[in-house]
Amino acid sequence: MNRRTALGFGFLAPALLVVILFFLAPVVLTVFFAFTNMSTSTGIRGGEYLLNQSILRSIPEDAISTETRNTLENAGYQVNDQGLAKLAETVSPATADELRSLHGGARFDSRRDMERALKDLRENRIRSTRDRKAAADLFNTSILNTRYNTEDAFRAALAGTNVPVGDHDALTSFAYTGWSWTTENMKLLFSLDSSYRYAANTALYVALTLAFNVGFGLFLAISTFYLPPVLASTFRTIWFLPRILPPVLYVLMWKWFTWDTGFLATMTGYLGIAPRNWMLDTATNAWVFVVLINGCVGASLGMILFSSAIKAIPTSMLYASEVDGASRWQQVRYIILPQLRWPILFTTSYQTLSLLTSFEYILLSTEGGPGRATEVWALAAYHTALSNYGGNLQYGLGAAYALILVVIGIIASLLYLRFFNFKELVSKPRIEQ
Amino acid sequence: MTKKFTGALAALMMSVAAVPAVAEDVTITVWAGGSNDSDAYRIDAIAMAADMLEREAAIRGEDLNITVEGKRDFGGWEEFKQGVTLAAEAGTAPNIVVTSHLDIAPWSQAGYIVPVEDYLDFDAWPLNDIYPNLLEIAAYNDVQWGLPQDAESRPFFFWKDTMRAIGYSDEEIAALPGRVASGDYTLQNVLEDGKKAVDMGIVEKGYGFYPRPSNGPDWGQFYQSFGGVLQDPETGKLVLDKAAMQAFYQFFADAVEAGLTRKNHIGTDWGQWYSEVANGKAALWHGGTWHYGRYTKKEGNQDFFGTIEFSLIPAGGENGRPNTITHPLVYLVTDQANDDHEEIAAQLIKIASEPRLNSLHAIKSAHLGISAQQSNIELYADDRWASEATERLLGEANAQPNHLSYGVFSEAMWSGLEATWTGVKSAEDAVAELEAELTAKLGDELIIR
Repeated sequence: MNRRTALGFGFLAPALLVVILFFLAPVVLTVFFAFTNMSTSTGIRGGEYLLNQSILRSIPEDAISTETRNTLENAGYQVNDQGLAKLAETVSPATADELRSLHGGARFDSRRDMERALKDLRENRIRSTRDRKAAADLFNTSILNTRYNTEDAFRAALAGTNVPVGDHDALTSFAYTGWSWTTENMKLLFSLDSSYRYAANTALYVALTLAFNVGFGLFLAISTFYLPPVLASTFRTIWFLPRILPPVLYVLMWKWFTWDTGFLATMTGYLGIAPRNWMLDTATNAWVFVVLINGCVGASLGMILFSSAIKAIPTSMLYASEVDGASRWQQVRYIILPQLRWPILFTTSYQTLSLLTSFEYILLSTEGGPGRATEVWALAAYHTALSNYGGNLQYGLGAAYALILVVIGIIASLLYLRFFNFKELVSKPRIEQ
Repeated sequence: MTKKFTGALAALMMSVAAVPAVAEDVTITVWAGGSNDSDAYRIDAIAMAADMLEREAAIRGEDLNITVEGKRDFGGWEEFKQGVTLAAEAGTAPNIVVTSHLDIAPWSQAGYIVPVEDYLDFDAWPLNDIYPNLLEIAAYNDVQWGLPQDAESRPFFFWKDTMRAIGYSDEEIAALPGRVASGDYTLQNVLEDGKKAVDMGIVEKGYGFYPRPSNGPDWGQFYQSFGGVLQDPETGKLVLDKAAMQAFYQFFADAVEAGLTRKNHIGTDWGQWYSEVANGKAALWHGGTWHYGRYTKKEGNQDFFGTIEFSLIPAGGENGRPNTITHPLVYLVTDQANDDHEEIAAQLIKIASEPRLNSLHAIKSAHLGISAQQSNIELYADDRWASEATERLLGEANAQPNHLSYGVFSEAMWSGLEATWTGVKSAEDAVAELEAELTAKLGDELIIR
């Protein structure tokens, strides 16, 4: 590598780092998560081995024998020689002897009963709760509700019970609490009716918002171009507000505007229209506001890009066209728009991709309502993976939603590059050839 | 050898060897979800308990120094739950969390929390005084994972002036809680009375019945009102009772159709909602026992008992039952590298459950108590709301099931309700979609009736 390329890479390094950290890594992780059954209950780092009633119940009827089930469920606590020997070793032989005389051979269903039995000790009282619990544990013959760090430890514990050896493998696989690889997420996604509705919602959202963004951005750029400079920059600044306002505040203002006690309802009230929540009244209302809320943010970006692009058009071309008697419309149609091809391509492709994955303004405004009418794909991914009042967040399924977006995003980028003939746009101007 | 077992053995040996006491500085962090200023005792009680534990240690000749660090300024339940789970994954979980009992199933399965029964004697004070049904709610798979931090329930409310205006006498209003409890006053009567109030112009259209404006544990109540059951007691599986679910959805569609309830009610701002119901803008509504605190303080209703009557959620009809759901928050102890810190955390939540300490929280935040002896604490016993609400509601209260898939179930149930309510789907279609979705997602864990 010569010095020139090394320097080039040096300059590129920060950008590469950012791309790897904020694009490549999330994509790789999404792919990875999407093919797991990861959720809050499986944890992220891996699992341990645990059997309890819920897990036993979730094991299909034919996977293990009824005998195994009964053995596991009815083990309990037993004051046997083995436990007494351990008690003699860890506490004192006298304690073990006293317990043998009081409860030798007894069987207790629950830990609490075993602890109560230990409380019966008089000569050799165990005077701390924690020690008594540790002592009770010595008599535990059940492996339910105990976590084992490794498979070997679990299998060893199983071997110590009367569970038939034939069921050990099945039990071990069901006892694992961590995540496992699966393709069920994808199957589930394609089998749910709601998926198709969210997909349709997303298509509608992206198409409408994009059309508004680009159309309105163009309109603002062109109309301010023909205004005196001071007035133009004032207007542009005002239209830039949605983008620089914090999203929560920006959406709150829309909410105040549309609430049934808000500005819009009050104004229409004077016209004799009954007050209503204009944002959430019907699915159509919700869509109008979702597009407006997102559109005003997107349009401001388009406006800035298009304005600067228009300014880059040599003024001599515009003067020449005026000399030729061109109208404003003809100037726009034949000079400005053709020269805006590159910024329009950029805005369109950039915003399609960002709209596909954006949901924060929808989350804040309609939260996907009314009746999931504005639930877009990215919002569904968020709801599945990160928002569940019942506690068990489904990271795997959420990532599967996100993975579809990643795939669509990549395909869309490739299509855009082809459609707009990217190579030609970035080729050297003819004059320099 | 298992983790629990080695830990226990080590503890046993340590105490037998009587390790000489050394000064110990321990920082215990407490994160409380869904808590605002009036819930400050969720954390403050732990600090008070720490003082007590330090004194007990000092008498035993140990120098224990506990610093309690509390955090309750979370953006909402989502942020809190994400925060706790990610911290637990990173090994930096707070020692104590105050959260919904529904988190017990996933968090215990993931190994984020440890059973408090590993450290606490439930035959000893104050744990032997906690209501057994509340302890049950903090247990999962017969293991006591946590302690109930408070209790509450979700009553149905009537605005007395409106009820008078549609023809109820004072005696009839006072008899309403009894009629609801006996199943004589049902949700069909709610539709009639709410409609009357709207038609007579006493309340505005959409304010005849003014439900909670967001998702939450309340909706299971209406499913139960129509005879639905959330969990099968025999098998522990979740239950989708299609007829009950459809009737429940249909009730809300009917309420909208009749003009009692706004079609776009969901998503109404909570601030607006509280202010409206606390001051008589709605005829009938439902909420939570802690609303008492909000109505009487922030919303300025000076005469709660003179203006509002409360009852169980009425039965839907003959097949249903009047009911209410209690959704206690629980104290949970997280898995830590150092078992001694788990022990200290467990001792702290035990002491914080003393009737006197818990009463501070109960009365300040308008929640209900967790133990029988609180009725002998004057602060608690003299509070009219706490005693009446406990008596009228808590006996009939049930909780949502601690089940790994309950979150999926309740979110899907809410989606269906939202779709019916807002007119996007018929009740029948919504239930059909719910059935398809739950069958696909839950499989064997679901019983369909």
